[in-house]
Amino acid sequence: MESRKTVLICDDEPALRELIRASLDDGYLFAEAGDGVAALDLAGEVNPDVVILDLMLPRLSGLEVLARLNADEQLRDVPVIVITAWNETREDVLAAGAADFVTKPFEPDRLRKAVRAATER
Amino acid sequence: MSRPPVSLQTRLLAASVVLAVLVIGVFVALVLAASAARTATNEEARSKNVTTSALQLEKLVLDLETGLRGYVLTGNADFLQPYTSAKELLGDARRDLLARTEDEPGQQKRAVAINRSIIQYMGDYARPVLLIAKDNLGAAKDATQNEGTFRIDQLQRDFKNFIAAENELAASHKRSADTKSRHAIELGVAGSVASTILILLFGLYLSRSIARPVREAADGASLLAAGDLSLRLSERGPGEVGELTRSFNEMAGRLGETRAELEEQNAQLRESERLKSDLVNTVSHELRTPLSGVLGFTKLLLTRDFDSETRRHYLGIIDAQARRLAELIDDFLDMRRIEEGRFERAQELVDMVTLLREEAQLYSLQSPKHRLAVEVGPRPLPVMGNPDRLRQVIGNLISNAIKYSPQGGIVEISAEAENGSVRVEIRDEGMGIPLSQQPQIFTKFFRGDAAASGISGTGLGLAVSRDIVESHGGRIGFTSAEGEGTTFFVELPGANGRGGEQGNSPEQS
Repeated sequence: MESRKTVLICDDEPALRELIRASLDDGYLFAEAGDGVAALDLAGEVNPDVVILDLMLPRLSGLEVLARLNADEQLRDVPVIVITAWNETREDVLAAGAADFVTKPFEPDRLRKAVRAATER
Repeated sequence: MSRPPVSLQTRLLAASVVLAVLVIGVFVALVLAASAARTATNEEARSKNVTTSALQLEKLVLDLETGLRGYVLTGNADFLQPYTSAKELLGDARRDLLARTEDEPGQQKRAVAINRSIIQYMGDYARPVLLIAKDNLGAAKDATQNEGTFRIDQLQRDFKNFIAAENELAASHKRSADTKSRHAIELGVAGSVASTILILLFGLYLSRSIARPVREAADGASLLAAGDLSLRLSERGPGEVGELTRSFNEMAGRLGETRAELEEQNAQLRESERLKSDLVNTVSHELRTPLSGVLGFTKLLLTRDFDSETRRHYLGIIDAQARRLAELIDDFLDMRRIEEGRFERAQELVDMVTLLREEAQLYSLQSPKHRLAVEVGPRPLPVMGNPDRLRQVIGNLISNAIKYSPQGGIVEISAEAENGSVRVEIRDEGMGIPLSQQPQIFTKFFRGDAAASGISGTGLGLAVSRDIVESHGGRIGFTSAEGEGTTFFVELPGANGRGGEQGNSPEQS
């Protein structure tokens, strides 16, 4: 008996949040945040199994969100998949503590596999 | 008290002339010295000749007397021989002495006196004594002892005086020539010394006034070439040298200014490069986000099955995202047009009331969090212009109002006629613009904290909008308080027609 995994989606663009949702398998619970502050609040609330994080977020940047998640005892081990259109290098993002790195525009299947790998770890 | 500056050329010419005159003077003095020495030599020779001539004449006179006395004492005609010989030579000798003393009046007088005495000696004494001796030797002998001795003594004294005078004259001439020669030599030596000193001074002047400033100018030029533009030369050099140093300083000053200008331009270019580089990043990011939506949903539709309602919904998102891409590309193209300074201005009558309503409706669909309130009167507010461009301005301002109030809220859109203009205001309840960023918000690519806040955009919208509004003869501006919201306004010259009428009303200028 497997409980449903919770995915926290952090992106300021509603269309992209919907795309991420549609890309993933059925069977996940979703929480969505449109800015960095909301993302942190929601993470503490729902205690997600995986976080999908855009780096360009209003109010609090994605990298800052990543750093605070890593600093939080409760959330430290939650895998974070960074998804970005910005030009950070993969190395920088992984070094900042991300579990995986997906660039925009992304293949829906690529994201699905990344999330599956992160939740089944 | 200022004199007009004497040119260096004049000074050098004057100095050269002075030196030349001095050298010629020295030369003349030396020539005079040589000439005086030669005159002295000639005078000595002449004097010697005169003396010799006098001594010869005196000898002839003594020969006359000797011959006469020998004959008178002995009665023997053989003893008369010296007399006869001397008598023959006597005429020439007298004339010779007279000729040689022609130039000296004093000596001439003495020579004439001697000549007269000799003629008298011959006529009054010698010839009568010879005649007497033929008859009476004793009487002739007495005559020689008395009269002859007297006359000969007299003549000998005259000759002695003459020769002494001649010697005195020669010595006087010699002294005069010596003095002249000495003066000339002294003058020559003094002139040479003066010339030497003047040449040295001239050289020193050339060195100090020309060579040194020129050397300094050359060193200065080297420093200038090495990049030290702060260098200035002393401008006190004479004439052309002063001009040279002044020109040099002026040139250095100009070079400094030019370099400063170039450095400024360079800084501007670097800034422009930085903005362009930022643009490349912005474009890359801004294009990728909607492109992700288009590609992602397309891929989903191609690879998975959805019910028709979901399919339609996804296609709607693809459509909206593709439109956003098109808008972004339009913005970039507009930016290019602004940079190249060309913006088409179609002249049509545009009713701002209708335009505001349409734009508000369009944007209200895009953001459910915001309520767009259009507050306009019942009457149309026509302006002349390009409807697509004016729509772009209003759309941009509404889009900004939405983007910069991420918490949602009311966006008030109003328009009214005001002093012959149409004034449009778009007010949001968003984050506002920090005071420090307010002067820059119309700058191309300036986005303030938007990028860090994750607010999308190119940083071109307001720059493009201002260009459009100004090309319509209007103005655009804003008031804003951080944390309270922002109000943008656009003022356009009103066309003030009724409905579709064109042209200005009488009360407008």
